[in-house]
Amino acid sequence: MTHKLITLEAAVQRYTRDGMQYASGAALPVGSDAVVFGRELLRQRRRQLHAIFHCNTQQLNLLAAAGAVSVAECGFTGLEGFGFANGLRRAVESGAMLLEDYSNLSLPLRLLGGAFDWPFVPVTSNIGSDLQHLSVQTPGEYPTQRKIPEVVDPFSGRIVGALSPLRPDLAAIHVTMADVEGNAIMLGTEWSRFELSRAAKQVVLLADHIVDGACIRQYPNLVRIPGLLVEAVVYWPFTAWPQASCGVHDSDDAHMKAMNEALATAEGTARYLDEFVHSWHSRDDYLDLIGRDLIEQLRHGPTSFLLDPYRQWILSDAEIDAFTAAGVGA
Amino acid sequence: MNYTRQEMMAIATGREIRDGELAIFGVGLSMLAGYFAQACHAPRVRAMTEGGIYGSTPIGGLPWGIECNRISANATSFTNGLDALGFMVASGRCDVGIIGAAQVDRFGNVNTTGIWSHPDKKHLEPPRTRLTGSGGANDIACGAKRVVIMATHEKKRFAQRVDYISSPGYLEGGTARERYGFVGGGPSAIVTTLGILRPDPQSKEFLLDGWFAFSSPQEIREHTGWALRTAEHAAPIAEPSETELAALRKVDVTGMLRRG
Repeated sequence: MTHKLITLEAAVQRYTRDGMQYASGAALPVGSDAVVFGRELLRQRRRQLHAIFHCNTQQLNLLAAAGAVSVAECGFTGLEGFGFANGLRRAVESGAMLLEDYSNLSLPLRLLGGAFDWPFVPVTSNIGSDLQHLSVQTPGEYPTQRKIPEVVDPFSGRIVGALSPLRPDLAAIHVTMADVEGNAIMLGTEWSRFELSRAAKQVVLLADHIVDGACIRQYPNLVRIPGLLVEAVVYWPFTAWPQASCGVHDSDDAHMKAMNEALATAEGTARYLDEFVHSWHSRDDYLDLIGRDLIEQLRHGPTSFLLDPYRQWILSDAEIDAFTAAGVGA
Repeated sequence: MNYTRQEMMAIATGREIRDGELAIFGVGLSMLAGYFAQACHAPRVRAMTEGGIYGSTPIGGLPWGIECNRISANATSFTNGLDALGFMVASGRCDVGIIGAAQVDRFGNVNTTGIWSHPDKKHLEPPRTRLTGSGGANDIACGAKRVVIMATHEKKRFAQRVDYISSPGYLEGGTARERYGFVGGGPSAIVTTLGILRPDPQSKEFLLDGWFAFSSPQEIREHTGWALRTAEHAAPIAEPSETELAALRKVDVTGMLRRG
């Protein structure tokens, strides 16, 4: 049987390079995201990334703090209830990272434009504000007409904004579950993962659970990312940690705060990288680092019932490793 | 006083929401204000978040984020951002949105993006203090039929001109907003920790409309960065009723607003 399972290390080696346009950020700052993929990008010393994150997450916060991002385009850059994103903030204020601001509607519209291969996407918001007038990519021009130029609706004569489409080189997308061919089901808000998976030139999935193909055939309506769009699948429990994965685990509130506090300084970031990025060598190490007791606790959150219908199809670690070891993947 | 200033602000904001409306809330105070309205006088309000999480009520305390498990545990539909901010808001369906502001000016323009040492050079230098960016607030400010802005009433936050317009109010005032043909009508109120400001129907300049029992027009003027004028009908705002306080405290189970 053909399958697309590969290791995290191999996925970063094979599908990423310095200077690429890298998209991630599956939900909003507290929810689903391929945070562990960002950790591996740093382990493999990727630099000069052009990051496309619909919303900032702890992944972008970390990548920015570590100086791995030269440009980021986002709709939102805070951490919601956890406050400002200190690593990103430091990178922006020092001028080390250029941040291009959009809104939470215009960013996914740009992905939709990329997915359709449209020349531009009309938008009725963003215009008239500094989201339109200020671009870090045209410094010295204010108000700029090159970021969201005004165009006239040929039917009504109304002014609308023209958004540029996005076609990221790679999207690393966190999903709740996928089969070995990359058919994926997401619990919770899908946010912009549907259009992101169509806009990106390549897609790598990071799945909390690998399920039998029978699960996918039971719920094909829920498979919003079909395997035919997917290059590779990485099995990695707690991919989103310390953020939440709806149906699978809650956010690790203490780590959310401690991590953000560490990323506020260069020293704290160096310490964080030592402890939580460069310290582990395997999936088991990583889960030990989170703490097995804490994992048990986070797994029994208020949304865990959402996973119940799918549990019967979840493959064991041994079954998954047998696939990966067979080496026919990708 | 048997309530806090934060509670008064949340209740005053919640009073802006009418029963049956389609309403969109952000995280934090605005969500508390919205769910207070639902628990108190607007049981049929149709609440949503910009994550496309519909039909849910937060459990176990205020959610950390709009996709937090605390608001995903009893939803009736999970969709996506394009649906919530596009089909529901940009389309003109949404009746009311509540947004926060780090800075707000006399025409109701909101800054949540950054503070610059030289705001007139913001296209040349990075911000002194980077804030959170727009999120969905810009789309709500353009698309919702009306918008309620919540802000802590401090002079540095109530500026003659905001450093950066993240979400448009009435721009330069008067008819300036009309140039863009927004489907949404613009901000109907700025609810603060001291009182409520509302726009003049013609000039669109925000005027003092009411003050809380613990505040006064003078205190509000002193904490406003422009020469705040007072509306003719301006009056003290009713204190929270027992019913309102009980409803708010039921929503604010962890007592976030009682500490403030």
